[in-house]
Amino acid sequence: MTFARVRSVPLPMAPPGALALGFVLSGCAGPQSMLAPAGAEATDVFHLSLVLFAGAGLILAWVVVTLALALFGPPGVRAVLSSRRAVLVAGLGVPLVVLTLLLVVGLMMMRERTLWPEDGPRIAVVGEQWWWRVTYLAPDGQRIAGANEIRIPVGETVTLALDASDVIHSFWVPSLGGKRDMVPGRTNHLRIRAEREGRYRGQCAEYCGGAHAFMALEIIAMAPDAYRAWLMAAAEPPAPPSEALAIEGQKYFLSTGCGACHAISGTPATGLIGPDLTRVGARRQIGSAMLDTSPETLARFIADAPAHKPGTLMPAFPMLAREEIDAMAAYLWSLR
Amino acid sequence: MAPPSRRRWRQPLRIALALAVIAGLAGAGFAALGAYNIAASTGHWAITERLLRFGLWRSVAVRAPDEAPIPLKDSDLIRLGAGHFEQGCATCHGAPGRTADPVTRTMLPTPPPLHREMLEWSDGELFFIVRHGIKYTGMPAWPVEDRDDEVWSVVAFLRALPDLTPDQYATLAGSRGRQPQGLERDADAPLSACAACHGDGAEAPSSRLVPRLQGQSESVLRTALDDYADGRRASGIMRLAAAPLTAQDRAALARHYAALAPLPPAPADEALVQTGARLATQGDRESRVPACLSCHGPAARPDFPRLEGQNARYLAQRLRLWHEAPADADTSAWAQVMAPIARRLNADQIDALAAYFSAQDPRPRTAASGTSGETAP
Repeated sequence: MTFARVRSVPLPMAPPGALALGFVLSGCAGPQSMLAPAGAEATDVFHLSLVLFAGAGLILAWVVVTLALALFGPPGVRAVLSSRRAVLVAGLGVPLVVLTLLLVVGLMMMRERTLWPEDGPRIAVVGEQWWWRVTYLAPDGQRIAGANEIRIPVGETVTLALDASDVIHSFWVPSLGGKRDMVPGRTNHLRIRAEREGRYRGQCAEYCGGAHAFMALEIIAMAPDAYRAWLMAAAEPPAPPSEALAIEGQKYFLSTGCGACHAISGTPATGLIGPDLTRVGARRQIGSAMLDTSPETLARFIADAPAHKPGTLMPAFPMLAREEIDAMAAYLWSLR
Repeated sequence: MAPPSRRRWRQPLRIALALAVIAGLAGAGFAALGAYNIAASTGHWAITERLLRFGLWRSVAVRAPDEAPIPLKDSDLIRLGAGHFEQGCATCHGAPGRTADPVTRTMLPTPPPLHREMLEWSDGELFFIVRHGIKYTGMPAWPVEDRDDEVWSVVAFLRALPDLTPDQYATLAGSRGRQPQGLERDADAPLSACAACHGDGAEAPSSRLVPRLQGQSESVLRTALDDYADGRRASGIMRLAAAPLTAQDRAALARHYAALAPLPPAPADEALVQTGARLATQGDRESRVPACLSCHGPAARPDFPRLEGQNARYLAQRLRLWHEAPADADTSAWAQVMAPIARRLNADQIDALAAYFSAQDPRPRTAASGTSGETAP
């Protein structure tokens, strides 16, 4: 859709070359691009990619030129190219050297990452069909639950403990680092370090079932002080609702059984099957980064979650009255 | 030039084609002229009758399942089938001590009285007939899809039918002696039909496959009746019962049953109850089953069904139906919530939950102690 809109405007005037370049560059921007690195590892990956692209381009050019010479070149050159020695050197020796060099560079980059100081927080992320269970492990041992949104301090090395509850998922936030698989029953670690504040989008990178494409998340890199203030606030239960509609909504939320699957700290809702909703109103998006959070989208999701997220465990609730759903949405919106 | 062997077939083929065209035209002409007398009053020729019966028997025999998937000598199943037979079948087929409606005697074919000879059909054949009905006769198919369990209850009853005295039949089918309390006016007539299976105020349903209605809220009962009547919730038995009722009837029935006092629970296996209690209060995170009591507990909304003291067999059957049925079998609002959960329960969990809820006392604590005081000598 976006592509169609972008293309329809410049098409009559723009030359095809500029158009192609426009396409390529449009992939560079945005919150989910490995070509717009914002983290130490992602920067390394980006640089390595540049080297690889450039190197691959040179090798391609060299192969094309050699091929042309072998076909159409003067007899002397063709004789050299067809010799056994040329095949050994160019076909075996050169790839051996190039690949060995790349391996050494890669190993050095990986080693460098293990030398990062472990100065940042530790956050457990569990892949579930189809959302991300997030648990912040505070320094005092407290576990603070979240979902589908991870906040990290800028400039600190954050250790993500990655696990899965059902099938294999893969954690990938291209702007911050490489992929790391999430395997049930095994904890993989990924270290990320954001270099500047911002929102970075991630996406499950291992096909995990029907709604795999709808399993996204957002990482919010904040100034370290702001992060610590936020974490301290998040450790406390949210303020009880004050607005009349939200108070009504809390009543419906609890009596309708939402607490069987969802937890809201400080209330009798302690369910662990679905995402924690303690501060769902403060999350920028719901449904694992599918809909921008607002009372309207919250209401739509409560009324008919499967319509927005096919295959979700959350059922539709057609028996609930519009007013009840709106009240619950107002309550969730108030949770910040 | 075609080879001689092929040419030899051409002549007969042409003749056969011509005959087929002539036969088709003749048939169309016969119908267009109205030459055939469609009147049921004229009956069939004896030869037509024999041919039709033979064809019917063969068609059913070829298509019927070999045997019943569940034991049919099951008193709950027989009573459930009996209640439906009384409501839906007895008018045409008669019942012990009662002949069929005389009007149905002029149908062609005449609905057979279901005496012993008639029951020489096998279980599977009876199932096929009740489930699918019979073309060109008055025998209808089962009113809903995906409720073969109900069809088997009718078969179970038909198996028991030949041995029943009129008295036994009347007791079994609830066609006598089960007038609900405080019902004299004509406006309450539908209630006696409900009471045949669900019991009147003071007693439990005769079959444990039938839910107890006492203790449910008015809105739960009203929603259920509407869902059954409109076919959102699949039940041939309840569709027959609910669909003819007017909206006022349904509202009145819901009000009536909602006002009845809950009955004491039936005893259940203690070990099962323990397992069920754990599941009901905590759920099972591993299999993604939420705690039942978050919606069905004492603090739940009045428009959510109460499960305490409900018949265990009914509860288990209800969960199994959701567990097994295709996603579109039950389109009621309840099913959208419950079917996905029931699908994640295994057979043992279903039995445990049914036992747990059936053993809970639905009566308010004070009322329960009051009742025990009254019954004490």
